[in-house]
Amino acid sequence: MEIYINGMACISHHNTIDENYFFEDIGSVPLSNQLTATEPNYKDHIPANLIRRMSHIVKMGVSTGMMSLKSAGIEKVDAIVTGTGMGCCEDTDKFLRTLLDNDERFLTPTSFIQSTHNTVAGQIALQIKCHGYNFTYVHQNLSFEYALLDAMMLLKEEEASTVLVGAVDEITPSMFELFYRGGHIKKLEELQPIWNSTTKGYLVGEGAGFFNISANITPSTYAKIKGVKCIQGITDSSELENIVNFFLLEIGLKKDQISLVLSGNSGDVVTDNKISEFNKAINQPIAYFKHLCGEYFTSSTFALWLAANIIKRQTVPLAIFPNHEPLSNIQNLLIVNHHEDHQYSLMCVSKC
Amino acid sequence: MANKVFVTGMGIMSAIGNSVEETLYSLSNNKSGIEKIRYLETSHKDNFVVGEVKLSNTELIERAGIGNYNRTTLLGYLAVKEALKMASITDMKEARTGFISSTTVAGMCHTELLYKGFFEGKNNQNFIDYHLNGVSTNDIAGLFGISDYVTSISTACSSAANAMMLGARLIKNNILDRVIVGGVDPLSKFTLNGFNTLMILDSEWSRPFDENRKGLNLGEGAAFLVLESEKCVKEKNKNILAQLIGYGNANDAFHQTASSAEGYGALLAMQKAFKVAGITPDKIDYINAHGTGTPNNDASEGIAMQTIFGNHVPKFSSTKAFTGHTLAAAAAVEAVISVLAIQNRMIFPCLNRKEQMKDLTITPVDTLEKNVSLDYVMSNSFGFGGNCSSLIFAKN
Repeated sequence: MEIYINGMACISHHNTIDENYFFEDIGSVPLSNQLTATEPNYKDHIPANLIRRMSHIVKMGVSTGMMSLKSAGIEKVDAIVTGTGMGCCEDTDKFLRTLLDNDERFLTPTSFIQSTHNTVAGQIALQIKCHGYNFTYVHQNLSFEYALLDAMMLLKEEEASTVLVGAVDEITPSMFELFYRGGHIKKLEELQPIWNSTTKGYLVGEGAGFFNISANITPSTYAKIKGVKCIQGITDSSELENIVNFFLLEIGLKKDQISLVLSGNSGDVVTDNKISEFNKAINQPIAYFKHLCGEYFTSSTFALWLAANIIKRQTVPLAIFPNHEPLSNIQNLLIVNHHEDHQYSLMCVSKC
Repeated sequence: MANKVFVTGMGIMSAIGNSVEETLYSLSNNKSGIEKIRYLETSHKDNFVVGEVKLSNTELIERAGIGNYNRTTLLGYLAVKEALKMASITDMKEARTGFISSTTVAGMCHTELLYKGFFEGKNNQNFIDYHLNGVSTNDIAGLFGISDYVTSISTACSSAANAMMLGARLIKNNILDRVIVGGVDPLSKFTLNGFNTLMILDSEWSRPFDENRKGLNLGEGAAFLVLESEKCVKEKNKNILAQLIGYGNANDAFHQTASSAEGYGALLAMQKAFKVAGITPDKIDYINAHGTGTPNNDASEGIAMQTIFGNHVPKFSSTKAFTGHTLAAAAAVEAVISVLAIQNRMIFPCLNRKEQMKDLTITPVDTLEKNVSLDYVMSNSFGFGGNCSSLIFAKN
């Protein structure tokens, strides 16, 4: 069964909510160690009385889901599957701080109610009155990939003919401090292009990506999803090479049929070690994306959105592919992602 | 999709016991695990009763013998260990093996102790490495050497039902041969205070399906089941505890926390479960209800049962007055209880109930019933975000 992306939307650091925008305005050197999201006018996508109570992540998730539906030209879906690595940090932080600062007194329920990881999936269901299958994955860097695998399985089982699948993560001041003091985020004075980094730490990011997938091709189809694979961990880059080779065999592709690899290098010289080795070994054109969206647990949504756009537009933005001759006849894109050398994933999207 | 899904192992850590055997003893002796707060550090210590696992963190560390993990991982590890032992599984590489866990607050019990100090600069302990959902899943999978399919789910109080449903689908789709499924949630100040702000906690023993029910008692625990394919079971001549024949997942799409008065999401989940199981509602012999003891849940769930079963609602009870509401683990705790009911031909009672609910025409089982033949048992779980799930187990 072929599975198609018939609609999609992405909120990221850049103006990806504008469907005409494709990174024409940016160079390739990162400017900050924190890439916060460029938000849409939420009123265009969520009833005004609901926006007031929603936290940043819920607004990002729900509006991106609604934008994806619009892009697919539909109002209803049979199932909603979401992922989040960290969940609703702002509401969790708010409730926890109030609780700890006031010795468990003077608490109000709103932030507790919205702190659960399934808030976004529940709110989308509520907004479009979707009584169908509703699921939320919370498996760190593989949260979106597992959501996508489930969504694809629902189509194969014929439990659904259209699924809205997506993921979202937010960076809050508390989370930034936690990750920064823990040495995960790159120091401002050590910023470098992520593909040539000699320093530790990543650029932290946030964002949301949603996709309408179906087994039927439509006039709005972007690309087809050839395969998705989750990898708990690898011992070295040659293991990753072997897994990629096996994955390509499974989906019926040869290595030289991959037009471009989107590599999930984060800019951390230590944890990027294996993926950088792999990038050299695969001997195919490589592009990077985390200098545009930053590192977050569901950055794969950005990568998939980017890949499907590259296929539809048949053009690779210079910002992710510097110093290369332009590619033509772009057929298959392979996304290889990881988070700090834990949990790797592969996704392959192809031209229809 | 002809593949059958069998339950071959179970493990449980809850307020009513640190093993399946202890759980059965408590259930068949009307022994509730809801008591005054013993272990959780909270200023509400004397305000509420809860269902704590009766072991301190130090005792859990000693019992597990895997090092200094937090309560989430320790509870989960011990339950998985028991389940694998019961299923006689030692070699993870002999078949495609998965691990699906679920949790709502993950390492919050640990985070809330260090959070304030960290931001005030008093400690630098990086609790985030233990906080996230997925961490305990990865730790447990790693400790047992499971790597073929490892994931975590969070759909509030229906989480573990969805873990079981996903596991069954993965076997039916021939993606896995066997999978350990369930959930874990330790008690935390975060959840205790959260439910308190919603004013749905009963300060005394909860009374599911009672006219004067005031709310729920929180519990904690972990429960995991081993699901195996027909092929696995036949090859190894496995002892079968039950068969997971039906599952349904639907969304109430009514309100972020409250259930609709007619229980539409619950109704849809049960209907889907019947469809997957290929049986009609009249086959069900017993329902282990979600039955939290909140005014809203029990009315909504009761109405949904009356709608779907008409004048023939099967025997039903909520066992949450034994264990407390264990949130993400609840559906797995109750799956273990449902399988124990089938195996031991018993229906465990709805404790503390005195007065018939005026909204309902149906009455739960409120004293232990023995020697009842249970061929098909349904277990319901609902959560925030409108998430509703229903499972059907068959005797086999």
